[in-house]
Amino acid sequence: MGVLNALLRGLVRGADRMAEFTSKRGSRTHYKGRGAQPTGVLTSSRKFVPVQAMIPQFVVPNLEGFKLKPYVSYRTPAGTEPAVTPEGLFSETVAPQIQKDFEEGSFDKDQLEKYGFEPTQEGKLFKLYPKNFIR
Amino acid sequence: MRLTAILSMAAKAAFPKDYRYGTSRPWTIAAKRLNPPGKKRRKVFIEPIAYEDWSVFKGDTVEILSGKDKGKQGKVAQVFRHRNWVILDGLNTHFRYIGKTADYRGTYIASEAPLLIRDISLVDPTDRKPTEVEWRFTEEGEKVRVSLRTGRIVPKPVFQRRDGIVPQQWKDGPKDTSPEDTLEKTYTPSLKTLEEEVMEKLGIEEPRRNRKTYWY
Repeated sequence: MGVLNALLRGLVRGADRMAEFTSKRGSRTHYKGRGAQPTGVLTSSRKFVPVQAMIPQFVVPNLEGFKLKPYVSYRTPAGTEPAVTPEGLFSETVAPQIQKDFEEGSFDKDQLEKYGFEPTQEGKLFKLYPKNFIR
Repeated sequence: MRLTAILSMAAKAAFPKDYRYGTSRPWTIAAKRLNPPGKKRRKVFIEPIAYEDWSVFKGDTVEILSGKDKGKQGKVAQVFRHRNWVILDGLNTHFRYIGKTADYRGTYIASEAPLLIRDISLVDPTDRKPTEVEWRFTEEGEKVRVSLRTGRIVPKPVFQRRDGIVPQQWKDGPKDTSPEDTLEKTYTPSLKTLEEEVMEKLGIEEPRRNRKTYWY
């Protein structure tokens, strides 16, 4: 009784208007998807033509000699490696090369592309910003 | 899913500013009865204790300083930091009926009431008397609780998992990666993304590029 009174005070008698309107609600003829990506094209004669390039394919490398398994043992202690930061990645990959070139005297600040600098993301398959891969 | 829908999803459960925490978890019916949506109750004042100064943990032996069971020692079963409460096993109990139905009067059980941190004192393990405790650093740099009266270290209770697994005695199953394989460092830092590295390894060539799309 107390719980019911509290519910009456909180929710006005009636339906929950703020609930998400999914494809499970609505009439028989109401059609709504759940956000799946299309895998083909609907032609003018209402026939669906699947496009092979739009169907996702799993690219799995050869797992011969792969030691990692789905679960991790409980005996594993916490790791001591520091998290990978952009600064850390730069100092491990690019900084030694720049240091060497600077000491030789061949460092040119207009030719940063040879160290991996990308002035634009245009023309790349996997752009970093705006990120166009799902991972 | 639509990008704007993802961006507007709440990250974690939000509580109102004057939410009154009880002994039940927030998603239970008892907690919902205690905090119905339109309620306004007198505010509960709690002594602010910093995170680093918290001294009582689950599994500690403590002594009650005031109340019905004054002078008794017990083990801490549950700690509520948001109300500065501690529930001891079998102490400070009151009795109630549980599982009552229309025709059955219910089981008469003893249920523990929470005690404030102020009415609790940690017990020195050597002479088993209540003491004041301070956080100090050992020579190795470890932060430990030291009893002010005797100067001895009060060790932190061993954390026992609720599923009863003792990590050191765990036997690996067929799907468990061994600790050596898990901690092996095989990452070579590179500026390529994982997808680009996999494509290079497998020799996949993709000269096509995506069409330019817009979202609002």
